[in-house]
Amino acid sequence: MSTIQAALSGILLGGLYALMAAGLSVTWGVLRVINLAHFGLMLVGAYLTFELASAWHINPLWTLVVTVPAMFVLGGALQLAFDALRISELNSLLLTFGLLIIIVQSVSNIWSADFQRMTAAVNPYATESVRLGRFVFPVPTLFAFAVAILIIGCAHLVLRRTFAGRALRAYAEDRAVAGAFGVDHRRVGVLLAATSGGSAAVAGMLFSLGSSLTPATAYEWFGTVFAVVILGGVGHLLGTLSAGLLVGLLSGVVSVVLSPATAPFVLFSLIVLALLLRPRGLFAARTAR
Amino acid sequence: MRDKTGRVLVAVAAATLLLGFVVACEKKSEGGGGAPAASGAPIVVGSTLSLSGAFAATGAIHKIAGEAFVDRLNAEGGLLGRPVRWVVRDDESDQAKVSMLYEQLISQDKVDLIIGPYATPNILSAMAVAARHKYVLPQHTAVLAPLLTYECQFPGWSIGSTPNEFVPNQLLDAVASLSTPPKRIAIVTNQNGSTDFVSYGAGDNKVGAVSITRQRGLELVLEKRYPPNFSDWASLATQVRDARPDLLINNGLGVDPVNLLQAMAQLNYKPPMMFSLFPAPGPPLGLGPKADGLMSVSIFEPNKATLDRLGAKATAVVNDFKARATTAKLPYTVFETQAAASWNAWEILVAGVKGAGKIDHQAICDSLHSNGADTTFSGHLAFDASKHNFWPPTQTIKQIQNGDWVTVWPKDRAAGELRGPAA
Repeated sequence: MSTIQAALSGILLGGLYALMAAGLSVTWGVLRVINLAHFGLMLVGAYLTFELASAWHINPLWTLVVTVPAMFVLGGALQLAFDALRISELNSLLLTFGLLIIIVQSVSNIWSADFQRMTAAVNPYATESVRLGRFVFPVPTLFAFAVAILIIGCAHLVLRRTFAGRALRAYAEDRAVAGAFGVDHRRVGVLLAATSGGSAAVAGMLFSLGSSLTPATAYEWFGTVFAVVILGGVGHLLGTLSAGLLVGLLSGVVSVVLSPATAPFVLFSLIVLALLLRPRGLFAARTAR
Repeated sequence: MRDKTGRVLVAVAAATLLLGFVVACEKKSEGGGGAPAASGAPIVVGSTLSLSGAFAATGAIHKIAGEAFVDRLNAEGGLLGRPVRWVVRDDESDQAKVSMLYEQLISQDKVDLIIGPYATPNILSAMAVAARHKYVLPQHTAVLAPLLTYECQFPGWSIGSTPNEFVPNQLLDAVASLSTPPKRIAIVTNQNGSTDFVSYGAGDNKVGAVSITRQRGLELVLEKRYPPNFSDWASLATQVRDARPDLLINNGLGVDPVNLLQAMAQLNYKPPMMFSLFPAPGPPLGLGPKADGLMSVSIFEPNKATLDRLGAKATAVVNDFKARATTAKLPYTVFETQAAASWNAWEILVAGVKGAGKIDHQAICDSLHSNGADTTFSGHLAFDASKHNFWPPTQTIKQIQNGDWVTVWPKDRAAGELRGPAA
């Protein structure tokens, strides 16, 4: 009983992991930018949610009206800067790590390094759940799961069925040839990075619904989110979703069957195995970009 | 009618003048009527604090407490008649920087005295430098007595020489006093170095909450360890719920108990009793009634009964800290354990210097060993070098009652009654 409940809870939490990883995965896969600042955008999204909800008593879900456009613009602006600087894939890692440090320190200066969380008065979702028979589905992760399916599903369809999506995939495959066929890589690149920024705002809001915030939280996301990106296959959206759910499921089940302390060991052993056996990711072959 | 109005105006004016005179006199007496003003070259106290990085949230508390202490000390005539200046550097929560900065403070800046940084790993780094230069090191919060071997380090917070035995025994003694004491115990432990030893012991001493629970004949229904950056609280909450403990002991820190309580609330479950070792004090209060009854450890809570017992100075310190913390926009502005430990460390430093009568580190160290130190919040502290200067613990158990932390155990220092599951 505990195992099944933990598996269900883990899968729901995996939705949040997938949503956090999707923006990073797609910008890495398509634009060749390993954007660690994405963690910073999620952090800012989470803190803005906290601020708007706590100070202005806005329903946390409605804060997306402010945070998504803000992170959309920030994400796009960063990509414009990357384009202007013509940074390589490796340099993007170093540059965006610096940006992340700046963002984390700015968040510390504005909101302090102390733990912050929305009170029960402004965030009733934190302790709510939906009961189905003997099983319980926590509302914050249920939201995250549903939103992850919706956003990643839509993004996948856009990439598969629209001209912009096809242009992006062509650009990811061969930049020179895509350019020769009239793909304006700068425009589609900025649009993709901006959308990724918007998704970071959503992920940040969903995280803040169920968790306390500290500036260092951004670094704590690294391990799990990169695990999801690598297992899912860099740039593969459906792979990222599947990997997120798998990581959540594994983490939940291992916690119950063995011990929570064993879960990271199992998870990262799996990543090492995946890199050895399927370097492009567990789900890369079965899904298209 | 006009005469009557005039008389009233004259009376009001006279009363205002009289009131102004009284206030002016009071301000004058506060400003230094009692103690002679400090003069001469300042005594410089050097230290680092984690003002950024992982420990910054608590580092900010120690900075405010230290500033308030130095301001008060100078207003009361300074130290040895000289003003005191505190030089504090940001160690960025980095142990390597702590060593470098303390070395710099002592060797290059030639500070007269030093005081500890915040957080055990940083304190251990500072202690190594202090020992090398034979400087006295009062420190705020490191309680792992076996590791703090330098004879001139003096702790501001003590859980005795075996905290891994003291904490579980104190908690289980407290709950044993209830009319229906808990029999089924669950222990979930953060593998952080500051918490794991309370469940499983440290070094050769493997006694801890787990073994003590068994020794006392209580049923250990769940025992789990989780990593420091754990996030899958739902799975742990499920296991706690299914184990049906009477008492859940969470040897965790930070927001661990909040995450766990929240995950359990999502399962529509709350354990009859719950204890958490080192939680951030503010966040559990934000959970409202869902956190009511949560217990933890404390060396000081500003409950009215406690403040009444300690006197006016303690109340003034607590109020001053609150005002400063509010200005600094700390989320939780209450003067409690961390700030009290900080205050203790500063009072130890001052007591040592006054006892020695000069800035001589060996004399200060000897004076503290011989005479101890009087503190506002923990009373007289006696330092025994054979116990690494860890004084008999004054640590208490506190409990959230009606949205506030209240000291509940031991009874002679309690400000309220420990509430059992039925309360």
